[in-house]
Amino acid sequence: MKKYINIQSYCAAAAFTAVLFMASCKKDFLNVPPQAQQPSVTFWKTPEDALKGVNAIYANLRSWDNVAFNAIAIESTGSDEADKGSTPTDATFFNLFDQFTVTSTQGSLQGFWTGQYQNINLANQVLDNVPNISMDAGLKARYLAEAKFIRAYSYFRLVRAYGNVVLRLNVPKDNSEYNLPQSDKAAVYAQIEKDLTEAASVLPPSYGAADLGRATKGAAVGLHAKVALYQKKWNDVLTYTNQVMGMGYDLFPDFEKGFRTQNENSIESVFEIQAELIPGNADASNSQYSQVQGVAGVMGWGFNTPSAVLASAFETGDPRRDATILFKGETTPQGDLVPISVPNDYYNQKSYVPFSTRVSGFNEGAQQNIRVLRFADILLMNAEAANELDNPTQALSSLNRVRARARGGNASILPNVTTTIKAELRSAIYQERRVELAMENDRYFDVIRQGRGAEVFGPKGWKANKNEVWPIPQTEIDLSGGLLKQNPGYN
Amino acid sequence: MKRIFTRISVLAAFCLLTINVAIAQNITVKGKVIDGGDKTSLPGVTILIKGTQNGTQTDANGNYSISAPANATLVFNFIGYTGQEQAVNNRTTIDVVLASSTQQLEQVVVVGYGTQRKIDVTGAVGAVKGEDISKQASVNPIGALQGKVAGVSITNVGTPGGSPQITIRGTGTIYGKTGPLYVVDGVWYDDINFLNPADIANISILKDASSQSIFGIRAANGVVLVTTVKGKRGDAVINYNGTVGVQKVTNLVEMANASEYATAVNEAYSLLVPPAAPLFANTNLGEGTDWYDQALRNAFVTNHQLSISGGTEKSTYNFSLGYLNQDGIVENNNYKRYTARLSNDFQVFQPLKIGYNVTGAYSKSKDAPTSIFRALYSASPVVPVFNADGSYGDPNAFNLGNGSNVNPQATLDFFNQNTSKYKITGNVYAELKFLQNFTFKTSIGGDFGQEEVRGYVPKYKASNTQQSTNSKLDIDRIENRNWIIENTLTYDKKWNDHSLTVLAGQTAQRNKMYTINAEAMNVPYSSEGDLYLALGDAASRSLIDKGELSTFTSYFARVNYGFKNKYLLNASIRRDGASQFFGSDNVWGNFPSIGAGWVITNEEFMKDQKIFSNLKLRGSWGKVGNAGVPFNPSTQTVDQSAALIAIFGGIPYTGASIRSLVPPQLFWERSAGTDVGLEMGFLNNRLNVEVDYYSRKTEQAIFDIPVLGSLGTVNSSIIANQADIQNRGFEFLATWSDKTEGGLTYSISGNVGINNNKVLNVTSGANPIYKGGAGLTSGYLSTRTVNNRPIGEFFGYQVEGVFQTDAEAAAWPGFKKGDFKFADINGDGVIDLRDRVVLGNPNPKFTYGLNTNFAYKNFDLTLDIQGVADVDVFNANLSNRFGNENYTKDFFDNRWRGAGTSNTYASANLAGGLNNAPNSFYVEKGDYIRLRNIQLGYTLPQAVSSKWKMQKLRVFLNAQNAVNLFGYKGFSPEVGGTPTNAGIDTNVYPLFATYNFGVNVTF
Repeated sequence: MKKYINIQSYCAAAAFTAVLFMASCKKDFLNVPPQAQQPSVTFWKTPEDALKGVNAIYANLRSWDNVAFNAIAIESTGSDEADKGSTPTDATFFNLFDQFTVTSTQGSLQGFWTGQYQNINLANQVLDNVPNISMDAGLKARYLAEAKFIRAYSYFRLVRAYGNVVLRLNVPKDNSEYNLPQSDKAAVYAQIEKDLTEAASVLPPSYGAADLGRATKGAAVGLHAKVALYQKKWNDVLTYTNQVMGMGYDLFPDFEKGFRTQNENSIESVFEIQAELIPGNADASNSQYSQVQGVAGVMGWGFNTPSAVLASAFETGDPRRDATILFKGETTPQGDLVPISVPNDYYNQKSYVPFSTRVSGFNEGAQQNIRVLRFADILLMNAEAANELDNPTQALSSLNRVRARARGGNASILPNVTTTIKAELRSAIYQERRVELAMENDRYFDVIRQGRGAEVFGPKGWKANKNEVWPIPQTEIDLSGGLLKQNPGYN
Repeated sequence: MKRIFTRISVLAAFCLLTINVAIAQNITVKGKVIDGGDKTSLPGVTILIKGTQNGTQTDANGNYSISAPANATLVFNFIGYTGQEQAVNNRTTIDVVLASSTQQLEQVVVVGYGTQRKIDVTGAVGAVKGEDISKQASVNPIGALQGKVAGVSITNVGTPGGSPQITIRGTGTIYGKTGPLYVVDGVWYDDINFLNPADIANISILKDASSQSIFGIRAANGVVLVTTVKGKRGDAVINYNGTVGVQKVTNLVEMANASEYATAVNEAYSLLVPPAAPLFANTNLGEGTDWYDQALRNAFVTNHQLSISGGTEKSTYNFSLGYLNQDGIVENNNYKRYTARLSNDFQVFQPLKIGYNVTGAYSKSKDAPTSIFRALYSASPVVPVFNADGSYGDPNAFNLGNGSNVNPQATLDFFNQNTSKYKITGNVYAELKFLQNFTFKTSIGGDFGQEEVRGYVPKYKASNTQQSTNSKLDIDRIENRNWIIENTLTYDKKWNDHSLTVLAGQTAQRNKMYTINAEAMNVPYSSEGDLYLALGDAASRSLIDKGELSTFTSYFARVNYGFKNKYLLNASIRRDGASQFFGSDNVWGNFPSIGAGWVITNEEFMKDQKIFSNLKLRGSWGKVGNAGVPFNPSTQTVDQSAALIAIFGGIPYTGASIRSLVPPQLFWERSAGTDVGLEMGFLNNRLNVEVDYYSRKTEQAIFDIPVLGSLGTVNSSIIANQADIQNRGFEFLATWSDKTEGGLTYSISGNVGINNNKVLNVTSGANPIYKGGAGLTSGYLSTRTVNNRPIGEFFGYQVEGVFQTDAEAAAWPGFKKGDFKFADINGDGVIDLRDRVVLGNPNPKFTYGLNTNFAYKNFDLTLDIQGVADVDVFNANLSNRFGNENYTKDFFDNRWRGAGTSNTYASANLAGGLNNAPNSFYVEKGDYIRLRNIQLGYTLPQAVSSKWKMQKLRVFLNAQNAVNLFGYKGFSPEVGGTPTNAGIDTNVYPLFATYNFGVNVTF
């Protein structure tokens, strides 16, 4: 009898377990939220979200597409100041840009394009979403102005590189807004100027230490001057540069030391892309700006090397030659010996970070800020505009201010320019820009906007009415279903 | 509630009835069971008293003893033999001779949630016996299946402890998981490399959709059912299996020596525009360093397995221990695996059986540096391993540049990474038989795993490019906590000409994965005891984690009906709910299947024919799903990656934003498959032939939709369920087994699988997915997946020749003499990405195997051959050049070096221009045929072994991969890879052969 009871209870228990389990299987069992990911609908609610969104825009400015190979290919390789670098057989795609044989399917064209539009999307996210957040009105206005500044900066880089580009000013609401046609170059410039004007009216002249590196009023006005320069709006250039010159900026006394990490965000700095080596966070220490240009095999990969043409472009004794070019076998002011056994004669010294700062597991030179706009550039733009507007006195004053700093107190070199003949003075300013701003990704588009592309780059294969801009990336044209049109001369 | 109680009492009442049946007057019956063929005793034969669950098994000598009613009937059953019934009739000794069922017909195969006689199966199921796996002396159970089952393609990875890649009937997904579902004793896994191959009793591979469909939403890549070894009633049987062996690298690629390398580099420099000065003033540098010789070794491997099993009438047990110690063929690389397994089954009462299986596994590997084989390939032979002063040879001292800036010996010496894996898994179950025909089974399974990867980089300096300015400790921890509950109810009844099995079941599963990664710098290392993050620099410590959680709940049912053993019908349905798709309309999915079979030889009209001993036609259709699609894909999330951290005043500040489009709602991939098979037996089933045709279509497979770069998203594409993928093919299996008069027993079995893979109907149209390599293929993408073509085809330029002179190349911007001359497909006079064409297909069309067994007297011989045909490999080792990587000897000997020297091989300037872009020169045939396994065994005569108290002692010699034949110019055409990155050969583990000596002992 006992046996029966046992069996009975076993049977009951088994059946019961099954029934109970089925009952316990409620719908909740399948309701599992995303793990370790914040749904976007919960974002853009608080002032903290607004701050994070603005921070993200700045962070992306140091991305690979913005500062490394693709930026170098688009903004530097075509010039006469830089060579491909590294060993002859390494990353030979740069030669396509150097020799102007690049076609629309080349990957860096898409990379640079996407990199700029990523900045623009991050800015648009802020511009579309932050206005709806209830927060301090002053801070909100500043955030929006910062976003406008970076959007303008990115469109400026785009319009220089590709001419007619897609003008995207909002986050697309749905897929009907994905595919937009190109806007005329002039319309793009107009939007850039609008953004900069609005940004300049809000941005503060400076920030406290915790915000050092955010866009200032000076940055917005200074960039506006440069945008005007590319459109030959001389009056505007003069106005804006004069304005910046009244904001308390000055040249950093030592040209060479101005490019070292300890002198980042100096008095000369109008806008810099901020980068840092953050211990314990290699992913945030992701700037490869210095690495790709660093001394090959010692402190980086050795690309975008100064050319022999650049090395001979400096006036005799100009200390900027030594400060711009790291020579094979030289010992740097910081005491590093550039080995004799490196594949290139010259490396970019403006991106140089002393070898001792290297931390394994991090990109070499991840701490180096990228100088986007220096006060020296403001002065040279001021000089150029003044000269174009027949004011050689102001032109000479600004120009010689730059030369005086370069001279570093050595009276025997870099004498003041004295000519007041417009064409001569213009040449002198062009030359000064060339040596003062060498290896800062300025030269290539500078020569083109001066109208001297064929004259300077022609021997390398540059052709007028084609190479003023690079081709629109082919994939982008294909994905647009032919809505985007290729630039003339490229197919 | 009342109804439930009613049911329970009915149930209990019947439990009671069954007990009553067993009560009668008993006598003890003894006897011996032997094989009708070779008259050897048969251990493990089941003997049941007819109409009851009472029974026993023969012991190791074939003897049995059972207490049975004097008027009972004993039923003798043994797999592979025709069952027999013997009426007791008061006899106390009944010796039985069992006839081999000339296999197949009575063979039982494991299917989802049950077993079926092979003859009753209406789908395509590949079955492999445990002994065929253990005979491979393979360290991985899946690796041992290579070439064994038609349509199952297995790609081995050489890495000790690595899991082979398995593809069943072609690739049916691009973004989803590609591996099959493994079910081990009812518990579900993604991988079974924790299993000791000796613990496997049999493996069933469910190949067609109808057999898979009972596993529903996770079955689309096939299901591998593993049944582990159980104890048998009788005295304890102790089994020991051990091998010791050596692994030797085979089919090494010969590289250029120092003189040849220097010559080629100088040549390359002379061909640059403008020409560069020669790098080597003197090219007469002799042999230089042979890096493969330096870093590779003959590696030791040993494998030991010990099992003890046995049982009484009421309980059985099986306990096993396994130990594997395998050295990698590269220095310092080693893998050790310890496994312990215990299974116990108890017949608590006649109708109730309970039991459990539990496996504990621990493995520890000293890993090899990630890209060491690529480093060995590209390392320059002019660089010495060590300089005269004992320092490392430095490539920078030779100005070799980025392409070849590593001394692989230094890489090996300073690499210190261990991977430890712990796992405890198993299940407990209870099985209750009631009302004669009903069986209720409940099983609770768990799988708890922890994996730790611990890397330590010391502070060192081998050269400027190989140094670490600080030490770094890096710890990755991955935890898995999974459980599964399954309840099934089976109704089984045979009456007159009918047989019916009905199954209904319910399951719930929860899978949780948690990963944490932490690192710190400047951790000292005087002993392993120092390796804690706490000892590192505080500011340098970092920690990040992530997790995945998914739950499933499912219901299923199946009906198997047979009429007169002639007409068979199987139908099933499963309904799965998956948390991954919660919130969408696709939380629940239904997966039906139907199959029918016709055993033609059982028809009256076939009675007199002599040709077929078996002829069966079967057909089936079913639906399955692949839930292994990217996680939480339908939710737009906030990007708060470290790349968005902003720096102000040198201090990091959190950044976050939205950098993706609102994604389309994703759901699982749906597959529907049809299978038609013909099974034929000839010559009294000595020859068995099986032919299958299948067609499987993945509907709404996930496919890329490329997005405009101007949208500024972080990814250049989004994904959506929007393509169909089709796999169609044939499978052939022929087995001949016989015994000669002279006493030779043998079987020869050959199988061939033919598969064609194609993408169909991509909704977003002709926008292809370009993938394949990038960093591994000189920065270019080398595959394209597009509508109406196979997945992941190689895509690039078509080589038409080599430019012999600069004059010839002048018309093509960017080209010069010695460069590949590419076809200008669009005829625009310029070679760019628009001139690319399909270069090859990495999906093998044919996979085949030939498996043989011979036994003569005390000798046995196994010989397995396996291969693939009609497949292409992309030789990325050759093409991936950023500078002065070494060249192969083949390339050096055949390179273009002046007008008229070669029209197929380019000049040494391979990294120049577009020479290193994917092109037809790098795509080679990947066909191979291999002597996968050869084993010669000798069983010592019983007279000898019994002297040492052994039942059986066998010694054997075994060789794996001893002969490999292929035309491919790389190390191994067995490359593998994810669907859109398959067949790209770079850093592939070189092929090696293993030679083992082994012993099997049974006590």
